[in-house]
Amino acid sequence: MTTRTEERKDQSNWTNRLRGRIEGLVPPGQALPATQPVYVASWIYVFGVLTLAAFVVVIASGCVLSLGGVAWWHVSSVGHYVNSVHLWSVEVFFGFMVVHLWGKFWMAAWRGKRALTWITGVVLFLASIGTSFTGFLSQSNFSAQWIGAEGKDGINAIGAGAFFNVLNPGQMLLWHVVLLPLAVALITVWHIILVRRHGVVPPLDADLEG
Amino acid sequence: MNALTMVTTEPGKYIHWGVIQISVANAAIIGVMILVFILALVIPFPTGHGEQPDEQRPGR
Repeated sequence: MTTRTEERKDQSNWTNRLRGRIEGLVPPGQALPATQPVYVASWIYVFGVLTLAAFVVVIASGCVLSLGGVAWWHVSSVGHYVNSVHLWSVEVFFGFMVVHLWGKFWMAAWRGKRALTWITGVVLFLASIGTSFTGFLSQSNFSAQWIGAEGKDGINAIGAGAFFNVLNPGQMLLWHVVLLPLAVALITVWHIILVRRHGVVPPLDADLEG
Repeated sequence: MNALTMVTTEPGKYIHWGVIQISVANAAIIGVMILVFILALVIPFPTGHGEQPDEQRPGR
């Protein structure tokens, strides 16, 4: 007869293995730490979480827009307002993200085994740009048509036009509201887990890591 | 406001500098972002609650 503790340690059980993986993602107490090293007391360290806050507004306003559909903002003042919140939260999102990028570049934030944190940030930047561009293609207006007509040659030139047709507004809308936001959200979670696992990068002159 | 009134009738203003061509709006946004970056580096961050940084605490 096995005890409950032994059952929880049984590595032939996939639930136990999965729990162990999840518990080991970040060091104990580092998932949501209440304190940070003293060097984090600088405004330049705030732009990552500002980007995350803007992303929450982007997703929330996008969900409200989904209720009304792509043409809602053309015929309703409420829809127009929500569309503007969505647009400007994206502008703020990218503004904060780029200042975050500048700050991390100039402090060489890939130091101390943080290369994957840096790489996931780069991929996030690129995925966010793709999500934004498909948003411009989903405006259901002449601007979207013009951008699609201009963009198709570039997409065809890299060989992606066969399965990624910027002249197909239905396909672009689904990429914009499902696939790309899902990718951005999942990579964001990965990025944050890596930050929590390795800690916030110290300034170049801190010399904490030897 | 209907959709037609949102279509701008005037061309945007552009800065031309050799091979570089950028709209005034985009140049202004980049300028503001650089300003925000510099301010983030130089403006002191409030430590709050009367706490001192670790390195200034006595006995450390």
